[in-house]
Amino acid sequence: MAEFSTSVKDAGDVNIIYLKGYLDAHTAPTLENTFSNLIDRERYSIVVNFKDLAYISSAGLGVFMAFIEKVRENKGDIKLSAMSDKVFNIFDLLGFPLLYEIFKTEDEAITKFKEIKKLENQ
Amino acid sequence: MIDSENIRVKRNLTALVEFSRIINSSLDLEFILNNVLLTCMGKFLATKGLIALNSGGKFILKSSKGISDDMLKKFPQLSAVNRLEDNIELENYMRENKLIAAEKISSSDECLGIVCLGEKLNKSEFTEDDSEFLRTILNISASAIQNSIVINELKVVNRILDSKVQRLNSLFELSKEFGLFSESTRIAKLLVYSVIGQFLVSKFAVITFNQSGITIMESKYSEDELISSLKDYDFAGLDYSIVKQDIEKNYPGLLQLSIELVVPMQLQGKTKGLILLGKRINKQDYSESDVEFIYSIGSLAIISLENMRLFKEALAKQKMEEELELARGIQKNLLPSRIPQFSNFDIAVSNVSSQQVGGDYYDLISLDENNFCVAIADVSGKGVPAALLMANLQAFLKTICKQGMHLEEATALINDLISENTSDGKFITFFWAVLNNYDRTLQYVNAGHNPPLLLRDGKIKKLEKGGIILGVMKTLSPYESEIVRLRKDDVIILFTDGITEAKNKADEEFSDEKLEEAVPGFTGNNAEQILKSIREEVQSFVNGAVQSDDMTLVVLKVK
Repeated sequence: MAEFSTSVKDAGDVNIIYLKGYLDAHTAPTLENTFSNLIDRERYSIVVNFKDLAYISSAGLGVFMAFIEKVRENKGDIKLSAMSDKVFNIFDLLGFPLLYEIFKTEDEAITKFKEIKKLENQ
Repeated sequence: MIDSENIRVKRNLTALVEFSRIINSSLDLEFILNNVLLTCMGKFLATKGLIALNSGGKFILKSSKGISDDMLKKFPQLSAVNRLEDNIELENYMRENKLIAAEKISSSDECLGIVCLGEKLNKSEFTEDDSEFLRTILNISASAIQNSIVINELKVVNRILDSKVQRLNSLFELSKEFGLFSESTRIAKLLVYSVIGQFLVSKFAVITFNQSGITIMESKYSEDELISSLKDYDFAGLDYSIVKQDIEKNYPGLLQLSIELVVPMQLQGKTKGLILLGKRINKQDYSESDVEFIYSIGSLAIISLENMRLFKEALAKQKMEEELELARGIQKNLLPSRIPQFSNFDIAVSNVSSQQVGGDYYDLISLDENNFCVAIADVSGKGVPAALLMANLQAFLKTICKQGMHLEEATALINDLISENTSDGKFITFFWAVLNNYDRTLQYVNAGHNPPLLLRDGKIKKLEKGGIILGVMKTLSPYESEIVRLRKDDVIILFTDGITEAKNKADEEFSDEKLEEAVPGFTGNNAEQILKSIREEVQSFVNGAVQSDDMTLVVLKVK
């Protein structure tokens, strides 16, 4: 059985979810729980780091769709980062770049959140 | 003069070689066209220019410089087959736009497109030499343009292919996942995740149909809204997908929820559920192949959901069977295993428990050397609850029998005990009697049980004296008893309603009348044979129909 795991890091107002392994129909509930926990804690600024994700299926993509509305309703966002070409290709094929900001690195995504925060505070 | 001409030719050649190198180094069509256009404009000092490429026999504008948006929009529909010189529309367009030169870009076998160039900055003529040079540039460009067009087409094809592969992967993955014995909710969730991930949907619902109506498996709509918008239509009979245009025309209820697609989930041609989807976030419509894909996923899911349902049903049935087996066991243990023998009474008993295990109970208890007690009861309800109440009754009965109380008082006490120990409207119809083997007397109390029949000389006396059914309320007015002095050859028949209410296939009951009609003819025989005759009478009446209640008979014949 292909393994999948997530871990979460708090970085100030932003939370980073690290994905590892194979995200498919079988493992999608794990990521679902991770998102649910963050949302329960009212953490809505979320960066997902795909560096160690080997594979994603459409059921895995569905998890992102399932939470994005709720997150954005609360003035947050899910920003994606550090995807391999293979993983990006699947996101791209299904048109996700229209909906999600995808960054080369985790830091760029975090910076984007900080800039928005700064603008709001001005 | 000749030298300067040489220098000019040499410079042109150098420029051409450089140009060729640059455009052939790229496969980016836009870059190549941009370069071709800029080179032409630079070479001929043109202030504007455009390139249109042949796409399926028509020229489509691909690159332009110095031409107003307005004029870009007016670019005429041109057929790529005709000679440019004969094309009046192009001629008019060029005149209007002050374009003075047009030339085809041709590969060895087809026309790839055209280039049009505007007036020279110095207003000089576009000479035959210029035309010749333009053709040279375009000939050099042709292969680079053709290569990049092919590459672009390949990219498009590749992407379509990738998309198909991705969908196949999804289907494959889900079929694997659905094959496992997953919980129904998890199946629905995976179905939803796959679809919303694949199509960028944020509003959706999955429902299934069953006997009691609609089950909402997953929904982003409010339950009330969804139910109320579904109830206007017969979706359980829907055997095709409903797309946006159809919804706009015919399903105002769905339109209100901005549902854009309804796909049935079918199993063996029967619609077992629906997938409802809202608009796609990229604002695209669902294509025919999208609908097909969703239908495929839905079919996979419904097989799995249906399997799950059947599995649960089987499990529940098995559990019920086990419970009934338990109840049957309890009941069997409560009934007397041995019939006591008395010199003046011939006794026969029979108890047939039904499939569901009713609450019939009978007992024969010796009180002392002359007296014994016979009891028959029917506990309301079936299965384990009935069996447990029956166990209570038996315990009370056995205890009270030993107390030497009067029958009326004892009945009142049993009623009080049962009333205290039952809830939710359970009750027991109960008849018991004490028979004296020495002087052949019978004293009985009937607490709402089907009156036993006392047969003497072909006549029937019903043993009805008593009081209220056990367990309904505490004893308020005392039970009455009756003492009957028995004679030789008297027959007493105790039975439960499973006998008189036995049904045939036409749903008719055996009835008290039929029983009372039949029994006088049997009394010449011994107890065992009388009992057998009654059972045969009932069997021939029901004629194989399955009975839902226990059947109990106790026959006593005075010797």
